[in-house]
Amino acid sequence: MSSDDELAERLRDGDEKALRAAYDRHGAAVLYLAQRLLGNRADAEDVTQVTFVAAWTGRDSFDPQRGTMLGWLLGIARRKAVDRMRSAARDDRVTETVRAQLAPPDERETPERIVDRLVVADELGRLPDEQRRTLELAFYDDLTHPQIAAVTGLPLGTVKSHIRRGMANLRRRWEVDGAAFGSRSAGPSRAL
Amino acid sequence: MQHLDPDRLVLLALSEEQQELSETDHLAQCAGCRHDLDSLREVADLGVEAQDLRDLPPPPEQIWRAIEADVARTREAVTNPAPPVGLAGRRRRAARNRPRWLMPVIAAAAAAVVAVAGTVAVDRFTGRPATEQVMARATLTPLDTVPQAAGGDARVLADGQMRIDVRNLPLTTGFHEVWLIDPDDLTKMVALGSLTGAPDVVLPVPPGTDLNRYRLVDVSDEPHDGDAAHSGRSLLRGTLTS
Repeated sequence: MSSDDELAERLRDGDEKALRAAYDRHGAAVLYLAQRLLGNRADAEDVTQVTFVAAWTGRDSFDPQRGTMLGWLLGIARRKAVDRMRSAARDDRVTETVRAQLAPPDERETPERIVDRLVVADELGRLPDEQRRTLELAFYDDLTHPQIAAVTGLPLGTVKSHIRRGMANLRRRWEVDGAAFGSRSAGPSRAL
Repeated sequence: MQHLDPDRLVLLALSEEQQELSETDHLAQCAGCRHDLDSLREVADLGVEAQDLRDLPPPPEQIWRAIEADVARTREAVTNPAPPVGLAGRRRRAARNRPRWLMPVIAAAAAAVVAVAGTVAVDRFTGRPATEQVMARATLTPLDTVPQAAGGDARVLADGQMRIDVRNLPLTTGFHEVWLIDPDDLTKMVALGSLTGAPDVVLPVPPGTDLNRYRLVDVSDEPHDGDAAHSGRSLLRGTLTS
């Protein structure tokens, strides 16, 4: 997280190298999200481009207290992708709503879900090595705690605490960055 | 009441062990443990799905070159700003000195222009006229529940129309509606119309609208529920000033 803060600070200071660092770190996730939302590579590349340009021009609006840089970038990318879909709909004189276009065949493939997955994947990559490894064995290989202990040679108690802490870290990150994404956020407050 | 142990919650979330009856009973009663378990389950599911994202290819260099070129262009625009301080800008400064009581007069005059000219929506198709006169203006800022990158700008033009320009509004399953609200009585408001998603949209202000009273510009998220009233979900707001 601290490197995110440092990157944010350099970005706010107008250091273009920080934008490059952000692109290297998060460009793949932004492109992935755009491609999943738009369904075609050329549009996804355009959206990735405008996302980072918008991040640059709007760099003062990034507040590390409110979420991570990845969460912020994915939020921009999502809005840019929606803008793109809307203008495509207009160009084609298509009358369906954006929602209809977005409606994924698979119930799990909502934009929120894709963002959440990217956020959790990113956090997984940032965990301390042993925490990450034990979680990967649990998630990807579907191993139980005792099996993980056997595979890694770690004591069962250590495996337990790695997994518990790792899950807590993923959950915290998901709640921080997931909360910024509409569907789960604070809920409709009747402002009037 | 004995809450579920954190290690136990993780085991249940990973479906590594089955819930015991006493635990099922406890979860039925305890919103806290239920929430923890649901969150951990969700995270575990996301973790499983994250497998596909482990080895995303690095983002292509050609996209970076396009970003770099755009950023360089914005830098040039900052160092060599174009001089578009046209009439609108000067007009706005002049308008700021105008006494407040004149506002209804201006609004009435603007309304008269619209009434006489009928549908002067020509500029909607021909683009912004060079001599656009701005009578009042509001900077729209996001409410707390809205991503802070959202924002916009509303200008009341001399011809009685409002040009509204928004950016980064959150995704909605409905549509965005523009309102003029009386900040002294939030139940009183005038609906101007909906945004199309175009970068800027021109909406007619109903003739006779008192912009001194209805000075709060509000952009709301409206569901397609056939209910013409304000949904209560405001996204952006700003106060008109002359």
